[in-house]
Amino acid sequence: MKLDPAFIWTAFVQLLSAIPTTLEIAGVSVLCGSLIGTAVALVRIYRVPVLHPIASAYVTFIRGTPMLTHLLLILFGLPMLIDAAAESLGLPFRSVSIPMIGFVYISFSITEGAYMSEVVRSGMLAVNRGQFEAAYAVGMTTPQALRRIVFPQAFAAALPNLSNSTIGMLHATTLAFAASVVDINAKAQIVAATNWKFFEAYIAAALLFWGLTFLIERLTALLEKRINSYNRGGVA
Amino acid sequence: MIRLTQIRKSFGRNEVLKGIDLTVSKGEVVAILGPSGSGKTTLLRCINYLERPSGGQIEIGDLRLECKHPSKKEIHRLRGKSAMVFQQYNLFKHKTAVENVMEGLVVVQKVPKEEARKRSVELLEKVGLGAKLDAYPSQLSGGQQQRVGIARALALNPEVILFDEPTSALDPELVGEVLAVIRKIAKEGITMIIVTHEMNFAQEVANRVVFMDQGAVVEEGAPNELFRSPKEERTRQFLQRMTPEAVYSI
Repeated sequence: MKLDPAFIWTAFVQLLSAIPTTLEIAGVSVLCGSLIGTAVALVRIYRVPVLHPIASAYVTFIRGTPMLTHLLLILFGLPMLIDAAAESLGLPFRSVSIPMIGFVYISFSITEGAYMSEVVRSGMLAVNRGQFEAAYAVGMTTPQALRRIVFPQAFAAALPNLSNSTIGMLHATTLAFAASVVDINAKAQIVAATNWKFFEAYIAAALLFWGLTFLIERLTALLEKRINSYNRGGVA
Repeated sequence: MIRLTQIRKSFGRNEVLKGIDLTVSKGEVVAILGPSGSGKTTLLRCINYLERPSGGQIEIGDLRLECKHPSKKEIHRLRGKSAMVFQQYNLFKHKTAVENVMEGLVVVQKVPKEEARKRSVELLEKVGLGAKLDAYPSQLSGGQQQRVGIARALALNPEVILFDEPTSALDPELVGEVLAVIRKIAKEGITMIIVTHEMNFAQEVANRVVFMDQGAVVEEGAPNELFRSPKEERTRQFLQRMTPEAVYSI
């Protein structure tokens, strides 16, 4: 066996076309996951009746099962549900018309939401109780206090975890191949299939992932510097 | 005017406030003294519902609130009538001094930003921080932070300002600057309730002193009377322990 360095480059260039798919999946999942996560975290922190045990069950079930399993469950279960619902309502809609990537979005958002809820929760718990009390004391309502005072500080506190989560999601997008969605990794397999140079193709994929991760790291570092400027201290 | 009637508060089985009655007229400065655990801070925090009283009645200005089952709206209105200065300052950490003072004006009272900023700058100048408008709390000393806290409370133009041990967390050499600011605003006729351990300060600034112990008001009166000739044995014990004799022997 001999390594073909030139093919690494060839593969790398071809892999670039899969970047949008990978970033889309990661972006949508992180975004929807954050929304779900924030809602779940609030429900758990405020112990909202009825919803609270449901939220806890969601987090423990999702974190207790593999992400690939979620994708497969959604992939096989959701179409059945949708079709049954459409049929009973007499709608002409059928699940076949949903693109596969749609199921990936849904499944990954659900997965990410569970992990993200803990990120959000830890961020909110990091905010001193006194901040809330001060907000109430100046006459704010709870939503105002959350939006104006608590969330900005919680976000700053959660940023390292948030970037961790985002990077994790970026890498987890490789599972999308199970739904026949062509992400960077799946593309590498396709590229190599013509000449069986799998090793070179996967090296190219690894380098590409590393590059994207590096970008995320730099972006968070910048954001962190900006957002945490209020914590820097020292007498002005 | 503020009138508290039979305010009760229990944490589990521990009854912290055993039916407190207290009336504060407009422009009056009332100091609440007492040993730790006497319930004075809890009482103060009940007035703006940071602590939920188990029973009683709170009346501030035109608002009258039964503590049994107040609605969210009533609590919100009650909080709008007071402002608080905290022991730990509790400035909004991610906002500059001037933003801290503006926040309540803009978000709660819906004052236009320009005007809110102008008023906030004036208030910060008044507490001697005109040069620190854009400093974050982490860049300010404890005394400076507490003065921002006072400006933030003043900005709201409340019926009453509640001071919760405003100098207890400060280094001794920073206490003076904060007391000076409170003294200054006390003269302007703003209604204030101050929980404090600064006996000299209480005697000088307050129109009335309330002594609490074990969740009840033991004694209240004009500062000179209460400090010089307390009626109750418990008050006498407390004052003896708190003040060097020389200060009050005339």
